[in-house]
Amino acid sequence: MTDELLIEQVVSAHRERSLDGAVKSHPAWHDLDEAGRERAFAAALEQRALEAALAKDGVTTTVAAVLRRITQGR
Amino acid sequence: MSEALTDERTELAAIARGDVDAFARWASAVERSLRLSLQRFAASVDVEVVVQETLLRVWQVAPRFVHDGRPRALLRFATTAAHHVALGELRRLGTTGALVALEDAPEPAVDPRPPDPHLRQAIVGCHEKLPDKPKAALAARLHSRGAEDDAALGQTLGMSLNTFLQNVTRARAALKACLEKLGIDVSAEALP
Repeated sequence: MTDELLIEQVVSAHRERSLDGAVKSHPAWHDLDEAGRERAFAAALEQRALEAALAKDGVTTTVAAVLRRITQGR
Repeated sequence: MSEALTDERTELAAIARGDVDAFARWASAVERSLRLSLQRFAASVDVEVVVQETLLRVWQVAPRFVHDGRPRALLRFATTAAHHVALGELRRLGTTGALVALEDAPEPAVDPRPPDPHLRQAIVGCHEKLPDKPKAALAARLHSRGAEDDAALGQTLGMSLNTFLQNVTRARAALKACLEKLGIDVSAEALP
């Protein structure tokens, strides 16, 4: 898989959780070198800015993932 | 006490009472600031993990959080918490070289920015113009709200993982190009 596609996966807010409930790093993140990880960071910033504008409630996928975990944990 | 500080205390009290909507508003307002505070960790830890874990910790600590009387108390607390979560991730990954370099680094102060209605309008307008497949792939990501991985999202659209990822990338590139024609640089909007 190319760096571009690895970066796109890292931009996603989806993360698996470990058995103890901790959020796990994306497998694609581990396959990137330092420059690729920094590009993924910049792309995620852009993506979240776009998401906040496109979501009616202004909630990005990151915040939505956290909210889902909070409400499921109740 | 200033009006902004009164509003902040009111919002914080709501979060402490377990008001998820209040927490969603606060988290949406500070997410960019929090993420930017982690920029120096970007090569060493998966920043998405740190942001999500930090927001969860803030939610858990909020009922016991004591406001120090200065503006943006919860954001300052969250920034410090994010720093500790990132250092914990570094230790877990065994990245000791980076740890030495990052442990004492000062935490940057990044103020939250209110949403810009004109920017939002421009982004929505450009989104309308996206070609079908990139638009569908981006929509799948947005509607999933981080619940499903990209392979599963691609499957719902009849796309392989690679095709799905290519379409999301194309969607973002096309949005950026459309916004640039309107004189808006998304990269600049996302950064301080």
